[in-house]
Amino acid sequence: MQPKHMMEGYRILDFTQFLAGPTTTRLLAEMGAEVIKVELAPAGDPTHQLPHRRAGRSGYYIQQNRGKKSVCVDIRNPKGLVLVKELVKSCDVLLENFSPGAIARLGLGWDVARQLNPELIMCSLSAFGQTGPLSELPGFDYIAMAVSGVMDMIGDPDQPPYFPMLGIGDVSAGVHALAAINAALLYRYKTGRGQYIDISLLDSYFHSHEINVQAYSGSKGKIVPRRSGHHHYAAAPLGLFKCRDGYLFMVVMARQWVPLCKAMGRDDLVDNPNYDTNAKRVQNRLEIVAIIEDWLRDYDRDDALRLLEDMHVPVAPVLSVPEAMEHPHLIEREVVRTIHDRGYGDLQIPGIPLRFSDFPEPLDLQAPYLGEHNREVFSQFAGVTVAEVAALEAEGVLVSEPLPAGVATIASV
Amino acid sequence: MQPKHVLDGYRVLDLTQYLAGPAATNLMVQMGAEVIKVEIGPHGEPVRNFPFCRDGRSGYFIQQNRGKKSLCLDPKTPEGLDIIKQLLKHCDVFIENFAPGVVGRLGLSWDVVRELNPEIIMCSISAFGQQGPLAAYPGFDYIAQAYAAVSDLIGEPDRAPSMPMLAFGDVGTGVHALTAIGYALLERARDGGGQWLDISLLDSYFHYHEVSVQAYSASGGKVQPHRSGSHHYAVGPSGIFKAKDGHLMILALLHQWSPLCRAMGREDLIADPKFVDNDARMVNREEMIAIIEAWLQTLPSDAAALEILEGARIPCAPILSVPEAMAHPHMIERRTVRTIDDRILGKFQIPGMPLRFSKYEVDENIQAPLLGEHNAEILQRFLRYSPEQVRDLESRNVLFSKPV
Repeated sequence: MQPKHMMEGYRILDFTQFLAGPTTTRLLAEMGAEVIKVELAPAGDPTHQLPHRRAGRSGYYIQQNRGKKSVCVDIRNPKGLVLVKELVKSCDVLLENFSPGAIARLGLGWDVARQLNPELIMCSLSAFGQTGPLSELPGFDYIAMAVSGVMDMIGDPDQPPYFPMLGIGDVSAGVHALAAINAALLYRYKTGRGQYIDISLLDSYFHSHEINVQAYSGSKGKIVPRRSGHHHYAAAPLGLFKCRDGYLFMVVMARQWVPLCKAMGRDDLVDNPNYDTNAKRVQNRLEIVAIIEDWLRDYDRDDALRLLEDMHVPVAPVLSVPEAMEHPHLIEREVVRTIHDRGYGDLQIPGIPLRFSDFPEPLDLQAPYLGEHNREVFSQFAGVTVAEVAALEAEGVLVSEPLPAGVATIASV
Repeated sequence: MQPKHVLDGYRVLDLTQYLAGPAATNLMVQMGAEVIKVEIGPHGEPVRNFPFCRDGRSGYFIQQNRGKKSLCLDPKTPEGLDIIKQLLKHCDVFIENFAPGVVGRLGLSWDVVRELNPEIIMCSISAFGQQGPLAAYPGFDYIAQAYAAVSDLIGEPDRAPSMPMLAFGDVGTGVHALTAIGYALLERARDGGGQWLDISLLDSYFHYHEVSVQAYSASGGKVQPHRSGSHHYAVGPSGIFKAKDGHLMILALLHQWSPLCRAMGREDLIADPKFVDNDARMVNREEMIAIIEAWLQTLPSDAAALEILEGARIPCAPILSVPEAMAHPHMIERRTVRTIDDRILGKFQIPGMPLRFSKYEVDENIQAPLLGEHNAEILQRFLRYSPEQVRDLESRNVLFSKPV
């Protein structure tokens, strides 16, 4: 039988909340894995409360948790812990992103988990990693970004730095975790052995330094990486340029300098000895920026864009989020896609960035309601009867929110 | 026999250059895969000249290409193309990052590749993806960043956006590619058959939008994502605060507001209607920032501020420069920054391996190849070419190598 997607048949026990861990399990669910999201009673994943909310549903939660099954458990209650331990025995992967040490204090550290299931792959995601002087500190995306030397590289040199208004580090650490889990699964496929994986936001951010670390180190401190506003410090012209009604980003490497001069109708610059190498262009960067912006002063962004594209200069309009969401390329490739949530209605979210030729169609997925799958999951994997689930819910060991009128539960296969 | 690492036994034909593709195969080689880097003769990978360079050796190249084997050839010669085609039969993965269509014009499209090896996973990495209105345009990291509405979210609202001085889009796209390749290999192990993967910088950058896309869409345009300088526009306190010596990043979301007030000795603010919840704090953002910055100025140092905030378990950090981060004891202890020893360039530092497995240590002794260093080894081992044949091909500019 043709599997419905790549990861059909794999089962993931997901203790993660907020963003980094849920990103990993969201991509696994998009690839067909069965993800059992263990939410902590009574309120579950804190992102249920994050904007934008409608009809008691959070668009933020929906985006990250489509296709997962939700069980909501008080794991500090011994009865709850017993139930969850049963699930560990039936899963291929356990993922958690509590502060280091917290999962062990809950009674589900790697030593316990591997005893329960010797083939298990367990992955911990944290801000700073499971060891080292910073490991105990709480952290979010931007905290790790500050420590990694990444934030210091954004902004004007004489002003405080900036940070991007999106969770690049969380999503990226989630993708790093996805890669490590995959390699461990491949290894297990050959050897039958599970293992433990330690992924951190800090490692993932620091891993993104393609130039700064080696250049500072290799030059023995002669090259000091620094933020330089709208234009790169090591190549020119490379940066943001102002047009009449917006901004263009241009990356002009050696080969593209002549086409750029021609596009500006400035053939005289081609042979100008002040600009004929990258080193000289960097040195005379401000002059070049002034020449280009002087030329762009008479152009609307999109007109200049077409002109430069025709000359094969790598160029882009700096799109706002709404503009990007309306761009024909992003629509045609479903980089932005519209989904329908049972309670919330229609909603646009980013598309799946992993495209497989054998599985071109995205799966039809729904985000769960809190504890929606208590009954299904615990009867299937922990041998608990429907009556026992009801009793545990009455006791507060399990929690489920009622489905609104007219909303049907997702029948599992 | 104990495998040397998790991907031991997998072989990758790597036709990528610059950063995104090499970042993917860089991680694969560190997980034990055999990576044959096909470089285009006569000069090979363009980043062999990227800074920092010394004695003709590039630290940039070394960082991304350690442990790979270099085969340098001219794929536009029939013999060069044939070598690639023959090698594809011996590989599990074929990865390339030319502009869409180029690899097809070289004679290595997916249709050709799958005929040669029905079990191969082919991964194409590009700026905008393999089809769509933008597919044919040239692109680098920042170009896709601008199209993905990421650049627009960095900087002051009333000024031009700012650009990050590192290419996290390229590296991030490489990691996305790695995951797609790996899951295709896992699926192949069970179900058999290769497939083609289409990975792009634009997809990867857009994938980072955790709030903006859904909030703009769901609010019917009421929530307008925008850059807001050094402080977040939607949640707070969340931003970069002027402290005694420098700047500190402080994130006191939702339940951390009360502990922050107590840490500042300002219990009175907890119930103050101006700051009572996130919505109120966003309305009175400037006043809130002023209160926190005034408190920071009363402390003797940034270190003292961090100690108080850490004691209250409020997420906070000093904003380290790259040199400071490289000297931080946490980064050193965990080898997030590590020292390698290149045969020519000597010792220098690069970022550590971000994927940590309990069963394996990272092998730090792997070396970045010289141009064409493994021409003879690869052609003898997989295609049974004699040393004479290899020398002949080198003399006729089908193969290239550059001795030390």
